[in-house]
Amino acid sequence: MNDFSEIEQELKRLRLAQPSHAFLVRVGQAIADPEIGEDKIIWPNRFRLNWIAPGVGVAAAALFLVLAQIRTQRGEKQSERITQGPAATQPQSTSPNQFIPTGATQVVYNVRDEGLHFTDGSEGPMRRLRYQTRQTLQWRNARTGESLRVSYPSEEVVLIPISGQ
Amino acid sequence: MENVAIHEDWRSRFSELAPGLLLFARQWVRSRADAEDIVQEAFVRFWRRNHAITNRALLYATVRSIALDLIRRDSRRARREAEAVSESAQVVEPEFELVDEAQSALAAALDRLPHDQREVLVMKIWNELTFAEIASALGISQNTAASRYRYALAALKKIFQPQ
Repeated sequence: MNDFSEIEQELKRLRLAQPSHAFLVRVGQAIADPEIGEDKIIWPNRFRLNWIAPGVGVAAAALFLVLAQIRTQRGEKQSERITQGPAATQPQSTSPNQFIPTGATQVVYNVRDEGLHFTDGSEGPMRRLRYQTRQTLQWRNARTGESLRVSYPSEEVVLIPISGQ
Repeated sequence: MENVAIHEDWRSRFSELAPGLLLFARQWVRSRADAEDIVQEAFVRFWRRNHAITNRALLYATVRSIALDLIRRDSRRARREAEAVSESAQVVEPEFELVDEAQSALAAALDRLPHDQREVLVMKIWNELTFAEIASALGISQNTAASRYRYALAALKKIFQPQ
């Protein structure tokens, strides 16, 4: 570290500009008066927004499933109408004509430690970890062999209470 | 009476810490007014939650947290401020009382440092935090904090004392 002592001294010689008197008064008033400044505090609101992407993804998957179900039911009715008569006595397949969930994966491709943060109502600081993942859900129709896969990016924030800071 | 005494203690402590905190906050925002808003909110939040003013790591983490939340909230603002903190862009000029050309050049060189190195340097030189406190505030290891500090000094030394 001795190699840097000269440059350290040069840096320490740079004197910081002093804050204005008005600023010091403003902070003093905010500390003294609990009504002042409360609306100025910025609370982390990213957590709420983080659920938008997965929510849209799930809604899209649900809509896709409903549409797929309607289409396959219509096809089934037509085939039943055609096969009425002697062939109707044949035993029907026991497998249900619907999409069955066959898999769900969540791949975490990035984790970021965002340091210590405050959250609403918490007494102490919390460490904020941001996980960026890709969720993939799969369904398969056992009768027709059709499969459906929905994949969407998601972001998850995990708050870990810190003690002893 | 005790409250008045506590208020006065906080006010005097704030007067001591404010210049360094403002410099720290200016790394993320261009205007002095924005930096003052960030520091005020951090300090008031600290006060309201009865945290010990001696817990400097937490105080700086709070300033950093508020600054990052502020620039994330507004996408236009985030773009503008992201440009301010990127290495290639013209970055915020630190607020120093410059007395000569050499100091102006040093302040300009400081601006050209990578953001993560300048952040550690500001905390260490002008706020006198220990590496343990810096590591705690930034969520990094002490070794990383010390490395970033050394890299910053090496870069500045290279500029001002070329071999």
